[in-house]
Amino acid sequence: MIKHHPTFELLKSFVDGELPASLSAGIAIHADMCAVCQHQIAQLTEQVAEASFEFEEAFLDRFIVDSNDDIEDMPVINFDQMIDDITASNALTETVVKTEKQISFNEQSYTLPNALHNMDLGRTTHIGKLSRARIQLDENEIHTSLLHIQPGGGVPEHTHKGFELTLLLDGSFEDENGQYVKGDFIMLNGDHQHHPISPEGCLCYTVANDALHFTQGINKLLNPIGSFIY
Amino acid sequence: MPNEIDHSQLCLKLKAVAQSRDKQAFTVLFKFFATKILRIARGKFPNEAQANEVVQETMSNVWRKAHLFNADKGAATTWVYTVMRNVTFDMLRKIKGNKEDNLSDDIWPMAESMVSETDNYEDHLAQDNLLSVIDTLPEAQKEVVKGFYLMEMSQEQLATKLNLPLGTIKSRLRLALAKLKVQLGEDHD
Ligand SMILES: [Zn+2]
Repeated sequence: MIKHHPTFELLKSFVDGELPASLSAGIAIHADMCAVCQHQIAQLTEQVAEASFEFEEAFLDRFIVDSNDDIEDMPVINFDQMIDDITASNALTETVVKTEKQISFNEQSYTLPNALHNMDLGRTTHIGKLSRARIQLDENEIHTSLLHIQPGGGVPEHTHKGFELTLLLDGSFEDENGQYVKGDFIMLNGDHQHHPISPEGCLCYTVANDALHFTQGINKLLNPIGSFIY
Repeated sequence: MPNEIDHSQLCLKLKAVAQSRDKQAFTVLFKFFATKILRIARGKFPNEAQANEVVQETMSNVWRKAHLFNADKGAATTWVYTVMRNVTFDMLRKIKGNKEDNLSDDIWPMAESMVSETDNYEDHLAQDNLLSVIDTLPEAQKEVVKGFYLMEMSQEQLATKLNLPLGTIKSRLRLALAKLKVQLGEDHD
């Protein structure tokens, strides 16, 4: 059973469309597997929509004393012209029927989550029991990947200077804090240290805004490959 | 009370657009939404032409995708909001990252982003209604939360509008969020 969910703030920013594509996709994938968050997103969307289109005059006036200036600032758009242009064609956008896409790691095949369907995947690289395919979202310091861990593999103890999202797409893993299952949305920041291992193997969607930093003994030697994993 | 939205009217108009390509109905929808979309877009895009493009794109999608609206699943306002949010997301990604991959419809599929009436969670989550929870906050906090979360004003903007120090806005927001989290049961585990 899923125990780890995005925070309320993340869900709210997701609904507002203010998160980068990497995190937005993570929340969308989690919500596909989590009825609780799906419901909360639906409710938030309804409320934000209502507020966006309702509080226009009456509510805004409480905050914007000089609201007249705002309105005068508005450029004059020729709305009638816009309506004519838009309705000139009666064509309806055809709905694309989505077909499942598969991805395989080490001869194991997985269904690619819908949210990732049109993202570019880089070549898969391997190190020990870890395989990683970078997802090319071009979000500067934010790196997004699919990370596959073969049974018995793990990531040495490490911390992050930024944040690290691990979303379990399949399989399970465990760390100091317990076991994680398919659908769990695990967001860590620089304060956390952890050492996930996966006895049964797993596939994760990961988003991190910095290389990880190995903290333990000999593993410190691994620091140059920290950027490989996340 | 703020102006009440006539949801059933908007819903009927949207259905008329979908079923009979009714231009009059579309004009009513356009008049209701366009200036509001423009105002919101002006907050997100510094460039006027880009804000206008959000209006144009959003309303075009309303015209061309009206058949995807499912009245059983939610209000017309919710649907138009998702159309606008998706247009905005793709445009921002194009402007900031020079990426024209239009990922929004994969992230927020149009047909599924609404409350389902048959949802099993409907009953026990009914009290989670955010607005009613916000209404239980002390007046000072309520004002800040509504401004920040519902009107999407920045903390700096709120400080100016309410004529309060930024620190006060920040601490009110923190207090209010702590309360909301408890009430909304953020920790599911
Ligand atoms: Zn969840």
